[in-house]
Amino acid sequence: MNSLPHIQPPKYFLRFFRWFCDPAIAEDIEGDLTEMFEREIDAGNITKAKLQFSVRILGLFRPGIIKKIGRSSLLNHPSPMFKNYFITSVRSLMRSAGFSTINIVGLAVGLATFSLIAFYVYNELSFDRYHEKADRIFRIVENLRTENEELFQSTSAPPMGPRFLKDFPEVENYVRLQQWSLLAQRNEISSYERESYIADSTVFDIFSFKLLKGDKKTALREPFSIVLTESMAKKYFGNEEPVGQTLKMDYDNYKVTGLMEDVAENSHFQFSNLISFSTWSRNNKDNEDRAWFWNGFHTYVLLREDASADNVRAKMKDFLQRNVEKGGMYYEDLPLQPLASIYMAPPRAWENGSRGSMNNMYILSIIAVFILLIACFNYINLATARASRRLKEVGLRKTLGALRRMLIAQFLGESLIITIISSLLAAGLVWLALPSFRTLVESPLSLSILPDAWKVIGVIIGLVIFIGLLAGAYPAYIISKFQPVQIFRPSSKGMFGHNALRKVLVSTQFIISIMLVAGTLLVYDQLEVVRNQDLGFDKEGIITVPTNGDTAIVNYLDAIKNELKQVPGVVSVAGSTSTPGQSAGNNYTEIEMTDGKMSPTNINFIYADHDFLTTYEIKLLAGRDFQRDVKSDDTTAYLINETAMKDFHWTPEQAIGKKVRGGPRGKIIGVMKDFHYRSLHSKVEPLMIAMTSRVGRMSIRLDGKNLPATISSVQKKWNELIPYLPFDYSFLDVEFDRQYKADQQLGKVAGVFTGLAMFIGCLGLLGLTAFVVERRTKEIGIRKVLGASVPSVVMLITREFIWLIAIALVVATPLTWYLISQWEQNFTLQAVINPLRFLMGGMAVFLVAWLTISVLSLRAANANPTKALRME
Amino acid sequence: MNRHQLGEFEEIVMLTVGILYKEAYGVAIIDEIEARQNRKVSIGALQTVLRRLESKGYLTSEFGEATNVRGGKRKRYFSLTSLGSRVLRETQEQRVDMFKAIPRMAFPKS
Repeated sequence: MNSLPHIQPPKYFLRFFRWFCDPAIAEDIEGDLTEMFEREIDAGNITKAKLQFSVRILGLFRPGIIKKIGRSSLLNHPSPMFKNYFITSVRSLMRSAGFSTINIVGLAVGLATFSLIAFYVYNELSFDRYHEKADRIFRIVENLRTENEELFQSTSAPPMGPRFLKDFPEVENYVRLQQWSLLAQRNEISSYERESYIADSTVFDIFSFKLLKGDKKTALREPFSIVLTESMAKKYFGNEEPVGQTLKMDYDNYKVTGLMEDVAENSHFQFSNLISFSTWSRNNKDNEDRAWFWNGFHTYVLLREDASADNVRAKMKDFLQRNVEKGGMYYEDLPLQPLASIYMAPPRAWENGSRGSMNNMYILSIIAVFILLIACFNYINLATARASRRLKEVGLRKTLGALRRMLIAQFLGESLIITIISSLLAAGLVWLALPSFRTLVESPLSLSILPDAWKVIGVIIGLVIFIGLLAGAYPAYIISKFQPVQIFRPSSKGMFGHNALRKVLVSTQFIISIMLVAGTLLVYDQLEVVRNQDLGFDKEGIITVPTNGDTAIVNYLDAIKNELKQVPGVVSVAGSTSTPGQSAGNNYTEIEMTDGKMSPTNINFIYADHDFLTTYEIKLLAGRDFQRDVKSDDTTAYLINETAMKDFHWTPEQAIGKKVRGGPRGKIIGVMKDFHYRSLHSKVEPLMIAMTSRVGRMSIRLDGKNLPATISSVQKKWNELIPYLPFDYSFLDVEFDRQYKADQQLGKVAGVFTGLAMFIGCLGLLGLTAFVVERRTKEIGIRKVLGASVPSVVMLITREFIWLIAIALVVATPLTWYLISQWEQNFTLQAVINPLRFLMGGMAVFLVAWLTISVLSLRAANANPTKALRME
Repeated sequence: MNRHQLGEFEEIVMLTVGILYKEAYGVAIIDEIEARQNRKVSIGALQTVLRRLESKGYLTSEFGEATNVRGGKRKRYFSLTSLGSRVLRETQEQRVDMFKAIPRMAFPKS
């Protein structure tokens, strides 16, 4: 009829129609549909035709058109009973609305919690996997061994990448990155761009960062080229076209050669802009080719598609021998870290960007499964307990010839219905809770990181079915096992011998609850220990401000410090290259040993001024601080820390006067007590302090009275003195605590979810108590008539649970002990596990359980016994 | 007689099946009703009513020849049964009787 290419009606709708339509009438209706569809196609509107077709099919999905269920196999198939099963299930759910609510709410909260945690864990595990070539990208990291220690660095030397490309046929490409912190200025806006990276121009060939404007071949070729991310471009250029413009960063003008999408949130390093590698290398050709010991770069290599990292690794020994000259430090190995594993790997020295913690992922996953288990146990408990209510129904069904598998199907179906309702409720809960959850875990958790919707829906459906079957299996088994003749036995106690199982389940819930409560308390203990540990300096009340090596500050350091010190509330001001909590530089140095020989070593350096030790309240074990009236201190005096002293096998007194050649020749003038100048995760390493006026940061100690006012007057002063430098201050203690961000998050998350777990557990307990009370109404009535007091009746009901809690405590203690001590291995300073915490956990669980139970049992105990006894 | 009450839409469908005589299949019925009554008819509603009328025995149906259009699906032609036509006639008479029974006074003067 129609000469145009034949247009088919929407396939899925047609398939759907064929599936539901009564086969006896399907043919002609489909014909009608097709005829109308073809007519509309001829009229020319394809979209409308398809839409109408689909709408009509949905309109046909109604009784009278849908095939009659089970018409074909009436005799040997349980399906005609489905409708009946469904009706009885719904009726029994409605009849005991309270119990159903408990089940549904408990399961919903459990499922919601589980999904949130699963989402978070998925997010954490998805890091860097979005790069198209992710499985071929590896980061070269270094294991180094010096005479004193082994170093595991995330960085590598500048010639490493080029040499890899030359020596390994497997390597296709490489990119070197180095983080810079630059002061960007344009018009009125001036701000530190701490996440600037210089990068080889190959960065866009290796990673899937998306360049929106500019040519990825040339964008990072010329010196002083910069590629901005969208948000940085917006910050400095507003709605102007950034490409082609210039941006002042520190003292240089950079030409914007490209615009790229913001870095995805699940990338292990974040940056706001990329600067051409040649900006650095044009003046450092020598270093680029030869600085084998300068581990200043993060180097990523891309392997060829057919190559394997193992092949490269096999030739590594050889490579090292050929390329790396021997010195004071030896390359032990150059492992290749797969890109996707970097985020979760234990952090190495000088990492770029933040890191996750696999341990915490395990802990969270365990909590998620626990919570789900508690919810499932609730269902199992209540369903088996309530089974007696269904005895008549089951008896009747069996008498009328129901097979056991039909009954199992019925009760599994029932638990599936509950799970489905719960999951709908859970979806709502997740939607409501997602914003707060994002704040809790401090992760943007955008839905865009999820794989395509069908997979997610598939997983959810799978989970719902799994939970439905898990929760429903045992009740279905118990109920279907029941023999009709037992109805007529006067005592129905005997056939509910699964009391034992209920006890096991309830005590498992208690075990989990106690583990969570005690575990959370212990996690907090550990975090408290970390927060309060002696850092060797006083971190309270210090703010630090970057000075960016500004020449005016360097030239007039003492004058500026004096001006700032005049501000009321300021106690002291110090300048240094880096402040505690930041990284400290690592320099090749020669030090005089006890035998008088100069020994080469690599040691961490902080360069500081006269006021550094006093501002930080760092104590000296021997010798003296830098002194203003000793002019030679400016260039020839060194301070070392306790660890360095011990490493060289000196006593404090021996250390004084030892010769040092680290740049200028000089002598050790003092030994400092150890202080944590770097991460709290690692132990204190040897350190040297020498003097400089070329400071990178100012540390200002405030007296702590009226902080906001003091800070704003310091800021005012700063803006007067150095108006072009932003007063971008941060609190040292906050910065320090941030190192434990992941662990603190774990503490918070564990706290919240422990609460939720307890809540679900209580719901179950409430249901179970209600059931027990109901069954024992008469018993309680008789006891009361015979003179039992209210407390004794309450005791009667609570007694059982108290035992279970006691047993749970005994089981939970060693388990938690073990898990927590495993977790504490992450910390250099470990809290002593306090046995009282377990008792507190037990008490907390007991108290909550007891309150839950008491509410109902008190009501039962207070009820007028005549009512209970008159029930029949 | 009460046993054979027809709904309004049922009545219209039966009338249309009658009007179309040998040509009363799904799409034609819809077109006819839409043309005469100036209202939208959904295929879902129509098909449900057709099957119901058929199961009550007012209509009967048979397949036509298979053709190339309609994706090769046959048409099902409906026709009135003798019971159906009797019910239809009774319904009409009932209506007319009732209309006649309205006293003149009841109509507002126009």
